[in-house]
Amino acid sequence: MSAPNQATAISQRSLSWRQFKAILRKDIVMELRTKEMITTMSIYSLLTMVIYQVALSQAGTGFDPRNIAAGLLWLAFVFTSMLGLNRSLVHEKDQGCLEALLLSPIDRPVIFFAKMVGNLIFLLIVQVLTIPVFGFLFLQQGSYAGELWMIPLVLLGGSLGIAGVGTLLATMSVNTKGKDFVLAVLFVPLMYPLLMACVSATTVAVLGGVDSEQQFWSAMGMIAIYDVVMIAAAYALYEFVIGA
Amino acid sequence: MKLVKTGIVLLVIGGLLTTAAFVMAFTTAEVQRHSSTITLPEKPDTVFQAIAHTDDGFVYPRPWFSQKIFYFHVPVGLASFLVFGVAAFFSIRFLMTRRREYDTKSRIAMETTLIFVVLTMITGVLWTRAAWGVWWQWEPRLTTYFIMTLMIIAYFVLRNSIEDEERRAVYAAAYSCIAVVNAPISFAVTRLIPSASHPVVDEGAMAISNLIPFLVAIAGMLMVGFAIYVARMTEERLGERLAALKEKFESGS
Amino acid sequence: MADNTCGSAVDVRGLTRTFGTRKALDDVSFQLEAGSFLSIFGPNGAGKTTLVKVLTTLMTPSKGKASVCGLDVVEDAVKLRERIGLISHNPLLYPDLSAEENLMFFAEMYCISKPTERVRELLTAVELDHRRMDLVRTFSRGMLQRLSIARSLLHRPDVLFLDEPYSGLDPHAVEIFDSLMKQIRQDHTFIMISHDLAKGLELCSHALILSRGKIVLSLPKEQIDENEFAATFRATVGTGVA
Repeated sequence: MSAPNQATAISQRSLSWRQFKAILRKDIVMELRTKEMITTMSIYSLLTMVIYQVALSQAGTGFDPRNIAAGLLWLAFVFTSMLGLNRSLVHEKDQGCLEALLLSPIDRPVIFFAKMVGNLIFLLIVQVLTIPVFGFLFLQQGSYAGELWMIPLVLLGGSLGIAGVGTLLATMSVNTKGKDFVLAVLFVPLMYPLLMACVSATTVAVLGGVDSEQQFWSAMGMIAIYDVVMIAAAYALYEFVIGA
Repeated sequence: MKLVKTGIVLLVIGGLLTTAAFVMAFTTAEVQRHSSTITLPEKPDTVFQAIAHTDDGFVYPRPWFSQKIFYFHVPVGLASFLVFGVAAFFSIRFLMTRRREYDTKSRIAMETTLIFVVLTMITGVLWTRAAWGVWWQWEPRLTTYFIMTLMIIAYFVLRNSIEDEERRAVYAAAYSCIAVVNAPISFAVTRLIPSASHPVVDEGAMAISNLIPFLVAIAGMLMVGFAIYVARMTEERLGERLAALKEKFESGS
Repeated sequence: MADNTCGSAVDVRGLTRTFGTRKALDDVSFQLEAGSFLSIFGPNGAGKTTLVKVLTTLMTPSKGKASVCGLDVVEDAVKLRERIGLISHNPLLYPDLSAEENLMFFAEMYCISKPTERVRELLTAVELDHRRMDLVRTFSRGMLQRLSIARSLLHRPDVLFLDEPYSGLDPHAVEIFDSLMKQIRQDHTFIMISHDLAKGLELCSHALILSRGKIVLSLPKEQIDENEFAATFRATVGTGVA
């Protein structure tokens, strides 16, 4: 009895993997075709830069933007990512495709992870595009005392949390009346601990300092805990949310 | 109907206990001895005079008013965490059973949480002003509590934006499950980060005359909270029965 | 997939679906033999969609049991999904993918072996082979519906659910849709939700009317008197949800 069960378990896993790849590939193909998420997110982040310029315009010459660079960057990331997250679920919802997806013999977590990884990829692309622009516009003068290898780590950790929690919340918010607004209201408070840690880690990466490495790793530890706890919670709740 | 009576009795007792605690706080409770001063890095805008000036900053006595508010702020704050936990518990029960009564219970517990959270915020801000000389400070406990308040407001925003009854229940339950993670963090943050300026309540070190009104206030607040919960629950039940009767009447005619 | 024949294709016993005081389905029972065609009529909010959602495993029943192809809708949900298909009034296709990409995607979802051949075969069957590289966005309503049929047949289901498939189709599209339905009529069991009494009665071998979650009338086709049936149907529409 156990042998065939084991066989079906293994085959089920490979089937899930096949479904996961298919959803991810479909999202990427659709994005490459419409370029909807990437363009809207990139333009939005450029607009944020203009707003920053206005906000900092009266700061005076003695002001060093490096001190708040990390905060500004993550602010831009949070707002652009909300835009993208909403998009990624809207096209599943539009023609009722989600229903067709749910009708197929797919494990619900597979949908969650596939959408999450898709969102993660798009977030990272936008971040990689934003950072040089931000640096070019705001951080020309002044040297970077920190270690730049830290930045990709923070980006990955932060985006993972944003994509995980965001995929769950966006799945809810596409079914509500005020889609974007509801997502923002749900998303920002839940993001708070992650943002705090990300800003602290990024600041260390930009400014350096005496025990910067130790500070960096303690912030990264918080990011890791947040990611693990929140993605586990989102994973557990996704089946309920997507079926409702 | 029995539940309504319990609710009324609880409301009366809770109100009496809270009032008693209020009176005791201003009469019998002695001014606390431990941590009776606070050191601030700079002179705040406050009516109280600094009693000393050390290397760390200005030393202030803990003002009288902030000590009195403690008997309400802390119990109401504790109650808010507790009721939030109850709401999350009912949310989990709902996701497991899919029975609407748990959704209703969870929603009403959330409403009660909102009341307590707002009260905690108001008393807290008064306390901050009296004790620290500022209305607000971005310090870990205040920040996490502020986030928790936002989450509870978000819960109701979410509920109001969904038409379908069952979907609304599921989403609200899922959100409260994920939001409740913040409650223990906010509760424990003053203990985790000892440098935070928000004081840690140490019940063991309290004088008896302090402890009695404190405990009485906690009991009173919890009773009032439960009474609010019962009252709202009864209202919901009656509303449901009315709806059922209406439907029966319509289909019968 | 051990046996491809189903004795009793659909078996519903005492199915109840409640949320609070609202009863979407109230003690619904019926049996359906393999190869039959059931039309479900009823006013809006009568529970038709809920019934189909329960039978397609998208909702769980509060009480009672339901099985499709001998598979329980709760316990064997995943297995059951491989045996059923849905054609809705919504095309359930991605507008920014081509016809072929759409079918290939759903073929992967069902983990079909030799997906390319199967997709080709179906595109030819629904006469969309010449448009297979075009984006679904550019398709007409009728073409979408044909592609939707192809999508639902990908995994060779035994039972097909139709959720008002005729809504929004022009007469020509209805003709093509009908001829396609005739081709697949033999090998499948059908359950159709319909507003269109004439169309639903023409196709069916069995019809039932739902109102307020209850079965008001359930008859095999031979016993249906069209006028009487229509009168009952209109009566339920009158007492529909307030």
